[in-house]
Amino acid sequence: MKKSLLLLIGICFTISGFTILKEKLFYVPKDWPKPEYDFSKNPLTHDKVELGRALFYDPVLSKDNTISCNSCHSQFTAFAHVDHALSHGINNLIGNRNAPALMNLAWQKSFMWDGAINHLDMQPLAPIANEKEMASNIDSVVKKLQRTKLYPTLFLKAFGDSIITGEHTLKAISQFMLTLISSNSKYDSVMRKKATFTEQEKNGYTLFKLTCSGCHQEPLFTNQQFENNGLTIDATLNDIGRMKITLDPNDSLNFKVPSLRNIEFSYPYMHDGRFKKLTDVLNHYISGIQKSKTLSKKLEVPILLSSNEKVDIIAFLLTLTDRSFLFNTDFSYPKELLLKTN
Amino acid sequence: MKIRIVVFLLFLNSIYSNTQAQKSNEISVSFYPLFKNSVIDFNQPAFYQIGINDSIQFDLLRFYISGIQLLNDGKVMWEEQKSFHLIDANENLLSILIQPPLNISYTEIKFNLGIDSITNVSGAMGGDLDPTKGMYWTWQNGYINFKLEGKCSLCMTRNNEFQFHIGGYQFPFSSIQTINLLAEPQKNIYVDIDLRKLIELNDLVNENNIVAPSKEAVLFSNQIASVFSNRKK
Repeated sequence: MKKSLLLLIGICFTISGFTILKEKLFYVPKDWPKPEYDFSKNPLTHDKVELGRALFYDPVLSKDNTISCNSCHSQFTAFAHVDHALSHGINNLIGNRNAPALMNLAWQKSFMWDGAINHLDMQPLAPIANEKEMASNIDSVVKKLQRTKLYPTLFLKAFGDSIITGEHTLKAISQFMLTLISSNSKYDSVMRKKATFTEQEKNGYTLFKLTCSGCHQEPLFTNQQFENNGLTIDATLNDIGRMKITLDPNDSLNFKVPSLRNIEFSYPYMHDGRFKKLTDVLNHYISGIQKSKTLSKKLEVPILLSSNEKVDIIAFLLTLTDRSFLFNTDFSYPKELLLKTN
Repeated sequence: MKIRIVVFLLFLNSIYSNTQAQKSNEISVSFYPLFKNSVIDFNQPAFYQIGINDSIQFDLLRFYISGIQLLNDGKVMWEEQKSFHLIDANENLLSILIQPPLNISYTEIKFNLGIDSITNVSGAMGGDLDPTKGMYWTWQNGYINFKLEGKCSLCMTRNNEFQFHIGGYQFPFSSIQTINLLAEPQKNIYVDIDLRKLIELNDLVNENNIVAPSKEAVLFSNQIASVFSNRKK
């Protein structure tokens, strides 16, 4: 009887331990949709997440060991590339697009401004191989990691095998990226009835729902679609967006609708980073829309906002800042791992 | 008690293994890239004459075989599980082993040339599907089903190179192809790939670089499938 009781207590502790661990690594915020990512194919573990975090911050992924994922995705800017309209990579080469913010990736259906990437696991392959970003390839990366002192041990701990593979490397990076959940902004607290908007924020929220939420749908603040938001084409880039992937003229100038969470810190804005301030963005929607065959239907009716209303919308947008995400030490540089010699 | 359980499990396992061994039979499926009936050695590339004054050299051949099935009168008698194989002529990986049960009869082998759409959107995979194998696009997701590279005097390109990286899994540019060939129980299967015919089907002067999903890639994938045949006896 005593033994059975001890066993039962043991089981309860184990289950609760797993629950705590699971909650810490990943959770679905209340009233959020089901994640797109299939966790059954890559169940999160603490060791895999930590390995992924090391890989995310380690410039070993690039050809000359100078560029890491973090180079263009800094935590304090919601993992975007602040101050750079177009991200720069190896040898100071300038890329073609603005590095997007990274958060709530488990809910994303596709990746990149044009949706070129169909699965989070495969996302790192693009910057690793891009000649203007990391200029390497996954095969070289795996061989390089294998030669380090650090990584065979970390892979053994995480995957039970010190032989490093592309699959395990990519899955580990996914594990870390999946933990990047941003759901604790003031907006979220208001939705949970634990805070209240100011009058200005409240008015901004009402205006936002009338004018912006067609594309920037709550709670992720994106409809995950590709839309032409009326930007004039930049002749230095000639970026046709989604059409490059589908070859369908109906997709010309369509770009993925980004989330607006943490938008206060993830400037500059748009796929080519042309707007530095939120007022520039609002002014574009009020008076800068370039009409074309593929213009989003949601923008066919002009958006009219007074100066005060613009300020109110911006006040609301600032409530989407999640400081617990921007400064969460679980997401920051893993100095305990990377400051050791590789 | 524990020891008894372990011994019992080992006993069960040995019975299971023996049963499997008795029921299985290894059959090889081998691929022979040919030019004018001679097998091309991709490790010692040679020039072959085409037309009157032109020549061609093949430097790389790599493709995926997946979803292998054995059929009898159109009915599936056996299908391989986790059936993904990378055939790599440069690494001399031109043969695969399948293990159908002994007690089935079949007249046909069916397989895909390429990787299906579900696998294409299922994230990172291992083994032959590991992206380190060089058969996965990076700028846009998706497996490259078939790669053929070389040089030909007809190609007015840098170093007269031609490059065919054929893939694409989404409508309307899905380039996976199904191939049906004859097969007999307990006999190895030999498959010819007539690269001369493939080149003849194409206009290398104007079409020598397909490296993304497109209608040209779909057409080329059809042509590739048409040059697979049972080895001529």
